[in-house]
Amino acid sequence: MDEFNDNEITKLLRLKRYEQPSPGYFENFLHEFHRRQRDELLRQPLWRICVDRARDFALSFNLSTLTSYPAAVTAVLVCAAVISLRIYEAPQPATVAAKDRPMLVVPASTEPEWTLASPVATRVFNTRSLRNIKESAQTHRSATPRYVLDSVPVSYETTFKF
Amino acid sequence: MRRLSSSSSGQGFRLLAKLAFLAAAASLSAQQTPESATSLSREVKDVFERCAKAVVKIEATDQHGELSGTGFFVDPTGTLYTAYSVGGEAENVTVEFKGKKYPARQLMADLRSGIAMLKVDLASPALPIGNSDQLEIATPVVAIGYPLDLAESPSFGMIAGFDRKCFGGYFPTKHLRVNLPPQRGEGGAPLLNLKGEVVGILLYTFENNSCYALPIEAAEKIRSDFVRFGEPRHGWIGANVAEASAPVEGSRAVTKEIMKDTPAAESGMKPGDVVLQIGRTKVHEPEDILDASFFLTAGDVVPITVMRGSEKLTFSVQADFHPASQPRPPLLAAPPLSNRAIPLNLQSAPERSP
Repeated sequence: MDEFNDNEITKLLRLKRYEQPSPGYFENFLHEFHRRQRDELLRQPLWRICVDRARDFALSFNLSTLTSYPAAVTAVLVCAAVISLRIYEAPQPATVAAKDRPMLVVPASTEPEWTLASPVATRVFNTRSLRNIKESAQTHRSATPRYVLDSVPVSYETTFKF
Repeated sequence: MRRLSSSSSGQGFRLLAKLAFLAAAASLSAQQTPESATSLSREVKDVFERCAKAVVKIEATDQHGELSGTGFFVDPTGTLYTAYSVGGEAENVTVEFKGKKYPARQLMADLRSGIAMLKVDLASPALPIGNSDQLEIATPVVAIGYPLDLAESPSFGMIAGFDRKCFGGYFPTKHLRVNLPPQRGEGGAPLLNLKGEVVGILLYTFENNSCYALPIEAAEKIRSDFVRFGEPRHGWIGANVAEASAPVEGSRAVTKEIMKDTPAAESGMKPGDVVLQIGRTKVHEPEDILDASFFLTAGDVVPITVMRGSEKLTFSVQADFHPASQPRPPLLAAPPLSNRAIPLNLQSAPERSP
C-alpha cells in the first residue's frame, strides 16, 4: 500500500468506474460459467480425465478401507507394465497401413444418409467446440467502442466550503 | 298532477341539455388532444431539424480502449462542448461531421464541472446558448445525441427537478434532473428548449428514464475562464459553512471555520458570520454556497455580505485558486487589493425570526 498515494488511488478509482460488464452478461453468466468449466475440463489430457473419473468412482465405494495401499500400488504398477509392453510390441506396419488407408468417398450427388457407412457418431456426437480455447478466453473482450454516458458524477463536493 | 308532469318534463330537458353539453365537450377535447400532440411533435421535429447539424459524434481512445460520445458546436470556428468522460482524458479524438471525420484537439477539460471543450479546424454551425434559469418543473426539453452506433436521434422529456445533492454527495453546482430516456453514447449531448437553445449538457444517467444535465451557465463560466486565462479558474476564499439553528435575515448558512492564511481570513470574516450574499447569489441555505462557490473565479474580487450580530457587513474578497485545482503560482499579477469590511448603516434593525 505504500507504493500508492491517495492521488493514485483516486485516479485508479476514477478509471475503474468505466468497467462495467457487457450487456447480457448476467443473463448469460451461468451458461458461460458451464461452458468455461467444460473448456477447462477438455484442456486436460484424456488419460488424466479417465484416471480422475476412475479414482472418483473408486472413492465412491470407499475401496480404501477394503484393500491395503501397497496392494493397490502394486496392481497399478503391474497394469502399467503390461500396457506399456503391449504398446512397444505393436507391429510397425500398422502406421504404413494407416497411411495407405483408402479415403472414404461420399458421392457428391447423393444427400447424406443415416447408414452404417456414414457413422452417426461422427455427425451427431462430434463434441468439438466451435471455438478453440484461445478464442473462448476472449469472450468478454469488447469489440465495439465504449458508448459513454456516466452513471455517477466525475467529481463531488464533500462539504460546504467556498 | 299537471305540476308534477311539467316539473318532470323540465328535469328531462335539463338532463338532455347536460348530456348534449358533455357530448360536445368530449368531442372538442377529442379533437384538441391529437392537435396539441401534433403541434408538440412538430415543435420537437423543428428543433431536431434546426439543431442536429451542430451535434456531432465524437470518437476517441483512452486507457480502456475506444469510446464514443456526443458533442455540439458552440461557435462558428469549430469549438464544441462535450462531457469530461468523452473528451477529458482521451486521445486520438475525431469528430464526425457531415459524414466526414475530422481530428479534434482538446482545449480544456474540467473535472469539477464534468465537461471538456474540443476544437476542430473548420467552419461549423453553432447552437445558440439559452438560459437555464428560465426553466421550470415540467418545462419540455429535447436532447440530441448519438446512441450506440446509431445516427443522431432526438429524445423528448421534461425538467423534473433542480438538484444539488444526489448519489450520496453534492454536485459542484445545481444540476438539471431531466425525465427523458438517455442512451449510452449520449454523454455530452446538448439539452435544448423548444426554441432550439442549449440549456444544459447531458452528463449522467439516473435510473432508467432520467438523467442529469449541467446547466449551460456553468459550462459558460468555464468557457469564460478559458477565454480569459486559458484554463478554468475555480475560485475559493477559505470559509467552511454549516447550517445555523435559526435563520438570520433569511439565511441559515453560518461560517463554521475561517481557514488560516486565506482570502476570507485576510478580509476579516470570522466564524459565526451568517452569509447573506456572495456576489449576485443570495444565500438562504448552506447548499446555496455550492452555486455561489462554483461561479467564483480565482483572481476576481467578489463582494460577500454577512450578518455579524446585528450588523450587516460587506467584504470585498479576492478569490484564490480552489484547493482542488492544480498547484499554481500565487496571484502576484493581480493588483494589490485591501480586503476590508464596509459597515453598512442599517435604517432599521434587522428582522429576527423567533
